[in-house]
Amino acid sequence: MMAANNYFGFTHGGTQYGAATAGAAYGGQTGYAVAPAATAATYGTQRAAATGYDTAYQAAAATQAAAHAHAHAAVAAASAYDASKSAYYQQAAAAYPAAAPPQPQPTYDAAAAKPAYSTPATYTQNTIVVQGGARAGGGAKAYGGVYTHTHSHTATTAAASYPAQPYTAPAAQPPKQSANRGNTAYDTALYNAATMYVAQQNKTGGGGGWKNYNKGGVGAGQQRRPKPPPKAQQLHYCDVCRISCAGPQTYKEHLEGQKHKKKEAAVKLAAAGGGAGGAGGGGGAGRAGGGAALRCELCDVTCTGADAYAAHVRGIKHQKVVKLHTMLGKPIPSTEPTKLGGAKKTVAGTPKIAFVASGGLSTVASTSTKEQKPPQGDKDKEGDEKEDEGETEPEVQPVGQDYIEEIRGDDGKALSFNCKLCDCKFNDPNAKEMHMKGRRHRLQYKKKVQPDLEVKVKPSMHQRKLAEAKAQRLLVRDEIWARRRMHEQGMEEEERGYWEGGMEPWWPRGPLPPHHHHHHHGMGVPYGPVGRRPETSDDRHVVAKHAEIYPPEQQLQDIQRVVSHTEKALKSLSDALADHARPKAQAGNKAQNDKKDDKPEGKEDGRDNQLFSFVGEGEAAAGGAEGAAAAAAGAGTAGTAGTAGTAAAAGGPRALKGVMRVGLLAKGLLLRGDRDVRLVVLCHDRPTVTLLKRVATDLPAHLAKVKAPGDDTKYKVELLPAEGAVQVSDGSINVLVSLTSAVMREPAEGGDIKRDDKDVLPRQKCLDALAALRHAKWFQARAASLQSCVIIIRIMRDLCRRIPNWTPLNPYAMELLVSGVMQSAGAALSPGEALRRVMEAVGGGLLLDHGPGLRDPCEKELVDALGNLPPQKREDLTASAQQFLRQIAFRQIHKVLDMEPLPKLKHATGGWKFPRKRRRSNTDTEGDQPNGEGKVVKTEEKMDASENSAKK
Amino acid sequence: MVRGAGRGGRGMPGRGGMGRPPFNRPRVLMLRPPFDLILAEPAFPRCKPAPDDSALTQALLKRHAELCPTPAEQSAVLSLVTKLQTVLDNLVVAPGDFAACQLEEVRQVGSYKKGTMMAGKNVADIVVIMKTLPTKEAVEGLSNKVNEELNKLMRAEGAGSVSCGCHERGFTVTSSGAASAAVRVLVTTLHQNLRKLEPEVHLDYKVISSHLAAIRHSRWFEENAHHSSIKVLIRLLRDMCARHSGLEPLTPWMIDLLAHHCIMNNPARQALPINVAFRRALSLVAGGLFLPGCAGLPDPCEAAHARAHTALDLAAQDAAAATAQTLLRVVARGGHRYVLGLQAFEGGKDISTEITVWDGVVVSPLAPAYQETPEPMDTDDKDDEGVQDGVAA
Repeated sequence: MMAANNYFGFTHGGTQYGAATAGAAYGGQTGYAVAPAATAATYGTQRAAATGYDTAYQAAAATQAAAHAHAHAAVAAASAYDASKSAYYQQAAAAYPAAAPPQPQPTYDAAAAKPAYSTPATYTQNTIVVQGGARAGGGAKAYGGVYTHTHSHTATTAAASYPAQPYTAPAAQPPKQSANRGNTAYDTALYNAATMYVAQQNKTGGGGGWKNYNKGGVGAGQQRRPKPPPKAQQLHYCDVCRISCAGPQTYKEHLEGQKHKKKEAAVKLAAAGGGAGGAGGGGGAGRAGGGAALRCELCDVTCTGADAYAAHVRGIKHQKVVKLHTMLGKPIPSTEPTKLGGAKKTVAGTPKIAFVASGGLSTVASTSTKEQKPPQGDKDKEGDEKEDEGETEPEVQPVGQDYIEEIRGDDGKALSFNCKLCDCKFNDPNAKEMHMKGRRHRLQYKKKVQPDLEVKVKPSMHQRKLAEAKAQRLLVRDEIWARRRMHEQGMEEEERGYWEGGMEPWWPRGPLPPHHHHHHHGMGVPYGPVGRRPETSDDRHVVAKHAEIYPPEQQLQDIQRVVSHTEKALKSLSDALADHARPKAQAGNKAQNDKKDDKPEGKEDGRDNQLFSFVGEGEAAAGGAEGAAAAAAGAGTAGTAGTAGTAAAAGGPRALKGVMRVGLLAKGLLLRGDRDVRLVVLCHDRPTVTLLKRVATDLPAHLAKVKAPGDDTKYKVELLPAEGAVQVSDGSINVLVSLTSAVMREPAEGGDIKRDDKDVLPRQKCLDALAALRHAKWFQARAASLQSCVIIIRIMRDLCRRIPNWTPLNPYAMELLVSGVMQSAGAALSPGEALRRVMEAVGGGLLLDHGPGLRDPCEKELVDALGNLPPQKREDLTASAQQFLRQIAFRQIHKVLDMEPLPKLKHATGGWKFPRKRRRSNTDTEGDQPNGEGKVVKTEEKMDASENSAKK
Repeated sequence: MVRGAGRGGRGMPGRGGMGRPPFNRPRVLMLRPPFDLILAEPAFPRCKPAPDDSALTQALLKRHAELCPTPAEQSAVLSLVTKLQTVLDNLVVAPGDFAACQLEEVRQVGSYKKGTMMAGKNVADIVVIMKTLPTKEAVEGLSNKVNEELNKLMRAEGAGSVSCGCHERGFTVTSSGAASAAVRVLVTTLHQNLRKLEPEVHLDYKVISSHLAAIRHSRWFEENAHHSSIKVLIRLLRDMCARHSGLEPLTPWMIDLLAHHCIMNNPARQALPINVAFRRALSLVAGGLFLPGCAGLPDPCEAAHARAHTALDLAAQDAAAATAQTLLRVVARGGHRYVLGLQAFEGGKDISTEITVWDGVVVSPLAPAYQETPEPMDTDDKDDEGVQDGVAA
């Protein structure tokens, strides 16, 4: 800033000669190194150094010679030169002794003598050098850097001794050429201006109008506007606007018009900025950001690109001006575009203060650098230029012709064009051409049509930021993954340690920073119950339904009590019968009986759902045969003690060998409201009606005997000969006690039949009871161990009870079905899955006629447990299951289960849903946490961004 | 200092973070395959004599013979495909002045490639992979070019002419020879270009990626499903699906996968007889293979855990299952002739929507279970799964 101020302070004489500034900057070395504006200032200086010595005199002289009006500027230029010169010398004197005293002097001279300045690129490098080196080495080194360039131009070896030497290599350019060109271009510019002036004078005859106008307008500054030309003329030409007017009246009006005034003001400004620029060849200083702008000198129009220029040249306006100028006999510059600058005006203006911004200066310099070269196309220069400006190369091929549709008028003439890619319209074929070459269009084409098209992208600040953010995110993601792995390992170890008891749990550990603590809390929790099975909505419904149908504790206890009493009473009855059968009880037998009674660990009833044998140990031998029979019946545990297989002891075997719970009770399938349970008593021989009657008569007495003292339950025993059973009832719970025997399986003729067949209980009933025994055994062995199986069978029992279509499915077949379905799943199923799978199996046609049937595992032969189901029932069953299946699939399991839909689970217990939701809320609240990690990242990001921008 | 750096690096992602939660435990693991009687054989040993299925087998074979394209049809489509392939290959190798698009590759896909074409549907498919992005203009340009070249070729051979018509998938080349044939040219682009697609300018993203998928499908089919039983079953199933409204939404790819699964996926890994496989296919779909919450058939050509049937919407899944359920019961009652289309049912009515009586057994269609509920069902797990699959695919 200081430099800039200095600059403005010094530019009274000639703005272009910022040498004074630079000198000051060089002299005050600290200011130079720090101030950002110094770049521009330095540049200006160089520029001055370049052109100044060589051309300033010339310029001044030329201007003087050409027009009186320029005297002012010439003086200014001269004085500026002086100033700069002195500044240089001063500064050189100040700086060089510090660095390398002997050499700089000739170098400097050379530089002064041969104005050779390098491109903007080199200057940028210079400033870098300055920034880097100034701090340590002081301004001297930086200065040296600046001069290295001049060295290289003059081809001296002195450059080697300078610290900034590496930078000279890229900057090395053909110095003479550029210098020459600088001169020639400037000369031609001057010449042009001069001749134009002369021509104008000649034409106008008096030399008044133009000169006067310029003099007045630019030189005076205060003056309102130029006087109209005094004499009548065919052509009223306004040089500012470069138009001709039809007559004096219109001309006058034009001059008073807004447009003209604006132009005039602009010209004045330009003149002020380029007043010295006229000398230096840097016109158009006021035009900011010239880039590679092309100028049409004739029309004084600046075009942003070659295409625009071409369009302009073809344009009607340009043509008009050309025509006019031809008419006027004015020189017409070649249509070759001038890269902005060109001494378009030799008009000197009143020196103005504080107009040209420092940025403007650089523009001037850079454009003037280029002004000469476009036709020649110097390679190095070109490269530099591209590097500098990222301008669209002239050789760009138009693309996407197909996507520009012509909108034609009625006469078939193209009225306008519409680019479908960019969604824009043009009325002009030229504009269309330009658009097709333009960056925007090419980008769209790349984006939408040909992804591999090369478009030079000027990365905007925004894009760069996006890219940075993306990179940052990637980084963070990698980090997270890495951390996750670490964390999981850590958790495992800690978990193990925790369970092994060797290590203390992770959280009280001291050295972990609080940040870690937070982290573990946030992430550790959801991953805790890894092995836990998630609970779906279906599961919850099934479990809820199950809880609903599961019998209450009271009911279970009641049933348990009644069954237990019945069993004890039966045992007691069995004992009594045995005693009765052997009235002269042997001593040993008696003793054994006593012994048995003494055994406290002996089974009291059939609570474990196994056969409750009435046979005492002493009777083992006696029970041998029965035992074998029981084993044959599938109740193998019964008489295992009797495998000795000896003949029956004296007095014969017991008539009632044992009792076993079967059916719902044994399988644990009781539902709420179930009151009927079954017991099966195994008899030694074919159970007869006589025996049944005996049991029915005696049982009440024994029941009363086994009752607890305070128990006043009234048991009622009912004889059901048709069922081959007696029913014990306490009013609410009915226990059906069936009598059966293994020998019933043998054909009636086969055995030693002693009794009348009529007396024997119905065979089928006895066989059913035997089958029930086997089913209970099978269930306990196979089905009960499958996960979810018992729950689902209970649910299915409920289903069969509720839904008529399902009623024909007999309980055992249903159990077989469900267990088979569970077994085939190959893995543990959750209740919801299990129910669905059952429906899938039935719905898929398992029970239909062509299906394999349900093989009864409790029979030796192949028996279909569902063999008797009529086709219509199968059909209905299948159809119902199919409907249920789809209802389950579409979350209407509550309809299947006949219950209210459960409310949706939000967070709470569903551990498996936890991670996701938790994480979400985690990130949401993070901003609030003082230790939140998000914050850290944010600041880090900021830091990165600032670092990056600092680098650039 | 060190700790600070570490902590910074470990930062959680910002809230605009990464699209997908990084550690989602894929719930797809939760899904299990449906009950499949063939695989569940050990649990349900046959305990009654297998029914005589020869009637069904005969019917299946007879129907298949009807469904196979005639030699004339085959040669017509073959000649058209060969010519078109030539033209397109030329465009790939030497585009010349053709600038509307750049072609990367041309591949035959679909039923023609798989050898599962059906009689009366003489349409082959060719996928053209463009190097450039598939704009509608590019497709049009390609279509015109192909039309021109192909007609040149046809004229040289004196073999009639072709016409091209553009549509949203590409364009269709139809030959107007004696036996009409058509080739659908399906346009797609390179995989890396997929995310550059814009709905207004280019062909639809879904269409484009489905064409890419078609290439994968063809390749998979070639490698895995060349068994002719599979092709027979595919024809039969496609025909069956086409004739029953509920099964219509099933895509050819689903049917391919289903047929392959039914024929090959058994403990013995030997092709099953066609009648068993046909029953199995019906039974699986009826058993909810294509219902939400079921593992269904994993799509071998998509990213892990993608399920083939998620392309169907929920109502279609329900309808497909319900239709298959009814058909299953009809077939079980001996109505396979109607299901296979050997015999029109009551003047062309859809048997899956009618109440039928077979030997006194009433078989009735089922009501749909899926309802458009006012409050969306997607807050729960099942539909989430569907969504996730969508993401995964």
